[in-house]
Amino acid sequence: MGQLRPVLLAALLASAMMPAALKATPMRVVSLNLCTDELALLLAAPGQLASVSFLGADANETPLAARAKGLRTNNGRLDSVIALAPDLVLTGGATNSYANELAARLHVRVIDVPQPQTLDALYANIRTVAAALGRAPQGKALVAHVAAALGPVPVRQTSALLLGGGGYTAGAQGLAAAMLRHAGLTQMDVPAGQVSLERLLSNPPQVIVKTAYRTAQSSIGQGWLQHPALRALPASTRTISTDGRGWTCMGPLVADEIARLRAQLQ
Amino acid sequence: MSRAALMATLALLVVLLATASLLWDPVALLALYRRSPDVARLILVELRLPRALLAVAIGASLGLTGAAMQGLLRNPLASPDVLGPSTGAALGAVMMAYYAGIGGTLALAAGGIGGAMVALTLLLLLSRGGASTATLVLAGVAISALGGALTNLALSLAPSPFALYDVMFWLLGSLADRSLIHVAVALPAILIGCALVLSSASGLDALALGEDVAHSLGVDVPVLRRRIVIGTALAVGAGVAVAGSIGFIGLVVPHLVRPRVGGRPGAALLPSAFAGAALLLAADLLARLPLAGHELKLGVVTALVGAPFFLWLIVRQRESLAP
Repeated sequence: MGQLRPVLLAALLASAMMPAALKATPMRVVSLNLCTDELALLLAAPGQLASVSFLGADANETPLAARAKGLRTNNGRLDSVIALAPDLVLTGGATNSYANELAARLHVRVIDVPQPQTLDALYANIRTVAAALGRAPQGKALVAHVAAALGPVPVRQTSALLLGGGGYTAGAQGLAAAMLRHAGLTQMDVPAGQVSLERLLSNPPQVIVKTAYRTAQSSIGQGWLQHPALRALPASTRTISTDGRGWTCMGPLVADEIARLRAQLQ
Repeated sequence: MSRAALMATLALLVVLLATASLLWDPVALLALYRRSPDVARLILVELRLPRALLAVAIGASLGLTGAAMQGLLRNPLASPDVLGPSTGAALGAVMMAYYAGIGGTLALAAGGIGGAMVALTLLLLLSRGGASTATLVLAGVAISALGGALTNLALSLAPSPFALYDVMFWLLGSLADRSLIHVAVALPAILIGCALVLSSASGLDALALGEDVAHSLGVDVPVLRRRIVIGTALAVGAGVAVAGSIGFIGLVVPHLVRPRVGGRPGAALLPSAFAGAALLLAADLLARLPLAGHELKLGVVTALVGAPFFLWLIVRQRESLAP
């Protein structure tokens, strides 16, 4: 802490003296959450990121892991990266609430990025992070890319169920369902985000969107997907698969998946 | 009520509850049968049947092994979930699944049986040389706590948060969406285990009179002990591997049954198996009530119902709480 304090103090003075627009571009950015990792890896300039969470560097969790190569990884807690003297910390809402408090006490600049519940909230998150990184044009371009990949909501909709191991699925009102509608898929309403085999068989959707999230890893959830009763799904139910990794965060990466699903369904 | 009448009543109860489990929500099932008979039949055979069979087998094994442990250790607190075998089985299954790198029901069952065996052997080693009842229960509680802590350690060292989620929900206990494959894996181990435990009935009755008396009656106490340990480990380990941790059945059931069979631990074994099956079937029906819009976890239900019931039992039997 001894050597750190002058750095922090200088950063504090600098940010207090300069108007917001002239704030120096942060060059030691730390992200503490898989979802902020994805935004930072998509938006930051080379060399701007100092650390992402260990999940952000895990190819099982995000397709952007390759971009995190060479970066320090952190465990999601501020104390694991404070020695890097970050000039901007990205936190992911409730999962990092302690980090938020600690950063405020240490006067480290924090941008908190809550989990988006709507498409507009996702766009707002992209713009917020881009602006904080001093990369507003890149943010604008990413928003445009997401909007273009999603395209208009088709009038013709088919009933669908996003399905992961153990019967885990998405809410019918959330962002995943909103995105799926852009592929012409209306997510079925399943209570508590988990479907039982019995319900799935007695009331099957027209399309099952099976996520490939950690399918290579044997688990109880994967065992569920192998249940012999699933062979009774009617021929009218079509199963297509999606890269499940983006769906954890419901970030910009899902838009490309939606474009792929729409193309596959046509 | 005679022992035969008690068993007949309990058996009838098991049949009724198993039928209710199979035909759960009959209106919807009938409507589905009219619409697509094949799917309804498949749901009945591939989902409802394994669920009912596992509830009977696991409930019976918990009631039976609870009664046997209480008889063997001559302690009313003994049961698989209090004294370690259940937590040992959970630890064994978790280690097997995530660190030996093999999933699958068979591997989980092997891990569960091994874990339960280690926990029970440890308990019996500590009980040798005439350890007092209190020492034994405390040792069992400590073994159970150690097993739980090691399971949590294994989970916190797991390579992904996904694994943690997977195991946490499994440990809460459930019989939902099990298949006939689960039955095929678990049932043989449960049956062999239960048969081993049941074969020790007369020995347990003799042991109730004291170790010396049992010895003079021709009971080989170490052999009896070994038979119950191996039987309990097989039955509980396989059950935990398939359905997760389900508490309180093994603890509560013997207390319900024993007073009705003249307090003889050996005579309480078979009725305890029936009562355990009935209780777990009932708990599984309760778990399926649409209280939260979806199913409750079975271990949560048995604990929610079992704990207050056990307290009531303790207060009522304060004077006569002896195995």
